Amino acid sequence: MNKKFKKLVPYVLLTPALVYYLLFWIRPVLRAFVESVTDLEGKLSFSNYINVFQDSYFKQAFSNSIIFAVFSVILSFVLAFLVALLLNRKFRGANLLLFIALVPMAFPPTAVAILWKTGFTTFGWINNILVQLNLISEPILWLTAKGNEALFFLIFIDTWTVMPSVMIILLAGLQNLNKEYEEAAVILGASKFQVIKDIIMPILRPTIVTAVILRMIGALQVWMIAVMMFGYGRVPFLVERIAYYTDIVPMLENSYKMSLTYSVVVTIIVLVSVTAYLRANRTKQGGVV
Amino acid sequence: MNNKILSKTVFYLVVTTIVLAILIPIFFFVSSSFYSGYEMYRFPKPMFPETKFEFKIDWDTEYNMYNLMIYEQSEDAYELLISSAKPKDFRRYLKRELSIVKEDEEIEADFAPAKDGPIYLTYKKNMFYNYVTFFSITNKAEKAIVNSLMAAGWTILISLTIGSMAGYAMARYKFKGKERLSVSLLLVRMFPIVAVSIPMLVYLIKMGLNNTMIGLAVVYSVSNIALTAWITNSIFLGISVELEEASIVFGANKIQTFFKITLPLAVPGLIASSMYAFLTAWNDAITALILSGDNPTLSLVVYKALGSSGAMQLAAAGAVILFLPALIFTFIIKNYINQMWGDVKF
Repeated sequence: MNKKFKKLVPYVLLTPALVYYLLFWIRPVLRAFVESVTDLEGKLSFSNYINVFQDSYFKQAFSNSIIFAVFSVILSFVLAFLVALLLNRKFRGANLLLFIALVPMAFPPTAVAILWKTGFTTFGWINNILVQLNLISEPILWLTAKGNEALFFLIFIDTWTVMPSVMIILLAGLQNLNKEYEEAAVILGASKFQVIKDIIMPILRPTIVTAVILRMIGALQVWMIAVMMFGYGRVPFLVERIAYYTDIVPMLENSYKMSLTYSVVVTIIVLVSVTAYLRANRTKQGGVV
Repeated sequence: MNNKILSKTVFYLVVTTIVLAILIPIFFFVSSSFYSGYEMYRFPKPMFPETKFEFKIDWDTEYNMYNLMIYEQSEDAYELLISSAKPKDFRRYLKRELSIVKEDEEIEADFAPAKDGPIYLTYKKNMFYNYVTFFSITNKAEKAIVNSLMAAGWTILISLTIGSMAGYAMARYKFKGKERLSVSLLLVRMFPIVAVSIPMLVYLIKMGLNNTMIGLAVVYSVSNIALTAWITNSIFLGISVELEEASIVFGANKIQTFFKITLPLAVPGLIASSMYAFLTAWNDAITALILSGDNPTLSLVVYKALGSSGAMQLAAAGAVILFLPALIFTFIIKNYINQMWGDVKF
C-alpha cells in the first residue's frame, strides 16, 4: 500500500502543472488554430488566412520579421561572442564590466524604445552630441528613415538591448570549458584564431545553439521598438500587426480574427525556424564527428 | 615587451568602448527625463539638464506688459520667451515649458521692479517636475504601478506553487515520460505568448477576468511555470538525497525534512524563479494590450504616454520609473540567468 502510494507521489505533484497546461496552453492554442480556420459564422474557411495574406502590410511584415531575425541573430551573436571571449579572460575589473554589460538586458522593451526615441528625435541627445563634437552642423533627421534603411536602423538599436542576454549564455559556456584543450592546442602551435574556430566553437556548440534559438524567438516577435520609433505601419512586423489590430483598430469586424490569424502565423514561423535550425545543426554536427 | 604593452592598450581600449557604448545612452536617457520642455527642444543644448534658469525682465511701455527673456549660454544673449501683462500667463509658461513652479503673487512681486528698468533674476527648476507630472497627467499611472505589482505577485504565486511542485517531482522521482516532459517544458518556453493571449481573451471574458491582473497572471504563468520547474529541478538535484535521509535517520518525518532541510536550501532558486516571474509581468506590453487594455499596467501606460502627451520628457520619466525595478531584479537574478535555458551554471 505504502509502496503504491509512493509511486503515485510524482504524478500528484505533476498534476497541477499538467492541468494548467491543458487549460491555459493547449486549449487556447487549439482554439486559436480552430478559430483561424473558421469564418465569423463558425464555418470552416480559409478566409482569415486569405485576408491576412492579402493584408497590404503582410508581405512587408513577413519579410521584415525574417530579415530582422536573421541579422539580429548574426549581429548580436558576433558581438556577444567577442565580448564573452573578452570577459572570460581574468583581468582587474572583469566583474564590474560584466555588471555593466548586463544593464541593457534589464530594460523593459517600452523603456528601451523611449531611450532611443529621446536619442534619435531631431533635437535629441544623439544629434546634440554630434553637434557638440563638431561632427555635424545641422541635426540629422533619423526618424524619417524608410524601408530597409529604417529596418536596419532598428536592428542596430535593438542589438544594444539583446546582446547581453546572448553574451551571458555564451560566457557561461566558456567558463565551463575545459582549459586543457585550449592549452594543448596552443602547445601544438595553434594560433588564437585556430583555437577559437577549431577548439572553442565546436565544444561550445550546444551553448551556441541555445543562445541562437533564444535570440531567434525574441527577434521574430519584435514590435515595440518599431512602433515607438516610427509609429504603426512604417516598418511593419508580424507582431506589430497584432498590436495594430488590437490597439489601433480594435473595432473592425474582423480585427479579432486578423490578430488571431497573425498570431497563428507567428507561432508557425517560430516553430518552423527553431526546428529547422536544430535540424541543420544536428546534421552539421554529425558531419563533423 | 613593447608588444605586451600594445596588446594591453588595445584590450583596455576595447573595454572602454564597450563600457561607453552601454553607459552613454543610459546616461542621456535618464538625463532627458530631467529636461524641461524648453530644454528638450533647445538645440544645441548643454550636455546636462539645467538646475536653474536666468531671466531678464523688462517693461514694455508701449504695450504695458512684461517681456520675459531667458539667458542663452551658447549665444551669450537673452532670448524673448513671452510677453504679457498677466502673471497668470507667466505662471503657466514657466511651469509648462521650464518646470518652474511659482504662484501668481510671487511672480507679480518679483516682476514689479521691472517697471523702473530691466531686472535680472534666477529661478530654480523643479528637477522632478516630469516625474510628478507623469503621475498627474496620465491619471492611470498610480493605478498602473499597483496593477503591475499585482500582476507580478499573482504570476509569482501561481508559477512558484505549480512550477516548484513539478520541479521537485522531476528531481526526486522516476516516472514514465520524464524525458518527454522536460522537452515539452522547453517547448512551452519557446512558444510565442501572443498565440496564447489572443484566444485567452474569450475565456477570460467568460470568467469575468478580462481587464484584471489575475487574468494577465494566468497567461504570464504559462511560460513561468515551465521556467520555475526547470530552475527548481536543478536546485533540488543539487541538494543531496543523503542529507534528507540523514534527517530521517535522526527521527524527522518526510514533511519535517522537506520544510526544515530541503526547502531552506532551495530558497535561492525559488527567489530567482520569482524574480523571473516578476520581470515577465513587469516588462510585458503585448499581452497587457490584448487582455487588459482598459486597466493598463505601468509598461502599457508608458507606451501610451509617448503617443498621448507628445512630451517626450514625460515619457522618459515614466520609462525611468519602469526601468528601475527591472534593473534591481535583473541584478539579483544574474547568477541564475543561465538556468533559464538549460543546465549551464555560473
